[in-house]
Amino acid sequence: MARENQAEKALCLLRSRLCDPNFAFKALSHSDDSNYSKLKFLVSSSITEACNNSILLLGPRGSGKIAVLELVLSDLLQEFPDMISVIRLSGLLHSSDNCAFKEIARQLCVEHQLVFSRMASFDDNSQFMIAMLRECGLAHKTIIFVLDEFDLFALGKQRLLYSLLDAMQSVTSQAVVIGVSSRLDADMLLDKRVRSRFSHRKLLFLPPAYEDIQRLLEHILLLPTDSSFPPDYAIAFNAKLQTILADERFKEIINTYLNLDSTVKHLLRYLFRAVSDMDLESGMLSLENFKTALSNIQRHPKLECIKDCSVLELYILVCMKRLEVKEQNSYNFNAVMKEYKSIHDSVKTADYFARNVCLRAFEHLLQRELIGFADNRGQNQSIEFSPVKLLISSHELHQGMKSYGSCPAILQQLMDRQK
Amino acid sequence: MGKEESPKTTRRKTRSSVLATPPKNVVEETKASSLHPPTLSDLVLGEQGESLSANDLSSVFPGRCSQILELLRLLGLPNSPMLPIFVYGGTSTGKTSIVVETFRHLKHPFVYSSCLTCYSPPILFESVLNQLFLHPKNAANGYSSAKRCESPSDFIHFLREALFSILGNTKGLSGKVTSKRSGKANGNMIYLVGLIFISSASLDTYYSNMGYVEPIPMYLPDYTQDDLQKIFMRNQANKKLFAFFSGTKIVVFFSALIFCLFVVLRPFCRITRRVDELSPAFSPLFTKYCEPITDLNFVPNKETNQRLYNFFCTHIVPALNETFKVSSQKSPEVEVEVKERKGKGGTRKFGDCEVEQLDFHMPTSAKYLLISAFLASRNPATLDSSLFESTGDSSSQKQKRKLSDKSMEQKETTEQELLLNPGSFPKERLLAIFQCITSVGEGPLDEEEQEYGGLGIQDGNDVLMSDVLLLLFSLCSANFIGSTRYRSTVSEDMAFKSFGLHARFFCFPTNR
Repeated sequence: MARENQAEKALCLLRSRLCDPNFAFKALSHSDDSNYSKLKFLVSSSITEACNNSILLLGPRGSGKIAVLELVLSDLLQEFPDMISVIRLSGLLHSSDNCAFKEIARQLCVEHQLVFSRMASFDDNSQFMIAMLRECGLAHKTIIFVLDEFDLFALGKQRLLYSLLDAMQSVTSQAVVIGVSSRLDADMLLDKRVRSRFSHRKLLFLPPAYEDIQRLLEHILLLPTDSSFPPDYAIAFNAKLQTILADERFKEIINTYLNLDSTVKHLLRYLFRAVSDMDLESGMLSLENFKTALSNIQRHPKLECIKDCSVLELYILVCMKRLEVKEQNSYNFNAVMKEYKSIHDSVKTADYFARNVCLRAFEHLLQRELIGFADNRGQNQSIEFSPVKLLISSHELHQGMKSYGSCPAILQQLMDRQK
Repeated sequence: MGKEESPKTTRRKTRSSVLATPPKNVVEETKASSLHPPTLSDLVLGEQGESLSANDLSSVFPGRCSQILELLRLLGLPNSPMLPIFVYGGTSTGKTSIVVETFRHLKHPFVYSSCLTCYSPPILFESVLNQLFLHPKNAANGYSSAKRCESPSDFIHFLREALFSILGNTKGLSGKVTSKRSGKANGNMIYLVGLIFISSASLDTYYSNMGYVEPIPMYLPDYTQDDLQKIFMRNQANKKLFAFFSGTKIVVFFSALIFCLFVVLRPFCRITRRVDELSPAFSPLFTKYCEPITDLNFVPNKETNQRLYNFFCTHIVPALNETFKVSSQKSPEVEVEVKERKGKGGTRKFGDCEVEQLDFHMPTSAKYLLISAFLASRNPATLDSSLFESTGDSSSQKQKRKLSDKSMEQKETTEQELLLNPGSFPKERLLAIFQCITSVGEGPLDEEEQEYGGLGIQDGNDVLMSDVLLLLFSLCSANFIGSTRYRSTVSEDMAFKSFGLHARFFCFPTNR
């Protein structure tokens, strides 16, 4: 159907917008005192004035540091073609100095169409880097170093940072070092020598305010009314979306979600989940999509684990709970079996099984990580004799049993009796 | 994992057989190159002509309809990007099979790596790269990988290269230099790259302060009783017992089968709902159920059904209390002998209760050693002298212990009593008890030993110490005696079983 094709096209567009963080941050970067403008100003001025600079971008994970940086770099690459080369390093991959210099040399070689040899030594690579810095400085080309996970470069001896910042000061170079980190005290980690060569510029990236979130939602979810979509469909879609966004229940859902983590990336993940549930027949988003997405993305893993347990496993958990309540601090499988037997003796349940079957259920609980060994000694003894403990609280166990489909009533009573 | 018996349809297979690319031509060892160069379509599962519809997919996995729909929605259309997906759930809930079969249905190429097989990062990197470079490890290239990859930075570099080559070739863009850093090709790309993680632990156990893109969780709960019924019906429907029946009998058989499954599933589901544990428990029950049916004179009517049901029910309860039964193959001579002995009474009597024989054979001296270990564990050392000394005089033999030793021992014994642990004993004590027992046990020999020409231990002094130590080590490795600190890990039942009539001689009081 033509309608379905439109819906599919709309869905693809929304998904690609949500998977690309740069798109979302474009909306937040319009004002003059946004981080985008400040960063752009700093880098472009150091390019035009042919000077060196360094800056740190700090903020919690998902607040758009790399996204804004990419926006700035793409703009500058268009504004100043052939005057910039970008070298990207990551603290997760290149934290050892050898690796880092090799990677710098490799990227410089690719950039300037030189042949890169993997056999080059650490000294060769570092001298190559300094030589390239000098040459590029003389040619008025700026090299921008992007150091992702900057705090990981600050472990150890900080040789890379020192040589970079030192070269920037001593050699005729034009370089900008941009460090990106989620640790807000990343500059405190720097060595004394490195810190003295570092200009203490920091840009702080904070989660957006509530009004910004509203603007962001509209920017991402509204379909463009230009010719890419048939006008009546786009207008109907946008109208429906505006009613959803204005709905109180939707605002409540968003607030609940953002109470946990109000960064933009977190929000984008939720919106992706909601949008992928879009009904392709009607081609519209609905409030239901957002509600189910919330429950799908915010999970209760321990509750799910308990619901997956069999009745015998629940018995074992309840026995362990009772032993704990009786203030028996350390107990093992044999003690649990004793309690199980005593329950069966006092109340004739239908669920009395042999020891080996119970041991297997016990092992299942260990696998699910609902119970665990109380100390490391347990690894040397067999399972039956090592002390164990519950890894879930009594509240979780209670809740789990309440939502269990066919929990035997006797178990509830046994739990309550101890309370 | 191949849990069920091999079904008739080709859709449910073991993981490894599913992922092995089926040879299109017979590739002999001498042929260095296959008839066609490897392409991206080699990463697509399934033959060219075959197709698996969405309905087939749902019917192959009973009870997973909503999860399959969710997965399809999260994957989206071929030309839309996706966030990483994290599939989790208990063991044998079908996580990997569902993901792999969904890709077969969609005819999407994918790369699969198991972190159990690829237990270290370089192996994982090389496995992924080999698949992306379409590089088979065969005799021609000496079973080597396409690229040697040790560090993560090398991996990123080669990954980009591999994706360029595999995606660029399909579009003929291999000549162009594409945009610099991002590794994305310009132009129309049909295939985008996504990640799916499969795990049995939930996402909250993986949180760390690393900058990864947080995946979207997708949960596969354990099967319900109805789902299990459908799963087992699907498998049993292919049984070759169909050959025994014809016409109306098949209908009767089927309805009886459904009823049988329901009757069996209900108690078993209270113990466990894992498919890989239920299916080995069900197959012997099913054979038992079919025993009277396969008789050609079986006529299905109400009376016979009732009899069948009663006969069957008696087998369910013992099956509930078994975890794993391997019926040992007896040699023909032993079988003859057992038949003879059955006339004399197969089980021995000890006191009031019947003591059954052990399922395996243990040499007699090992049995003595086991009994000594059991007694040493269960009784404190102070009782030894009164129990084992030939004079039986305990008062003159009291040892004075140091105070610190005594308090340590007290602490240990209280802890052990609390945990119901068997006590530990030094090797010398074990050997001393062993010597005492074997010297006492000269009495009336067992019938078994008489038959075997009296191979039992006549006199404790005849047994060499090295042989005893060898026996001790073999018992430790069989986990009858704990090896870090010597303690007996067998239960009373086992101890009595192993010794049968001999236990009569050794009714020592035990603390527990």
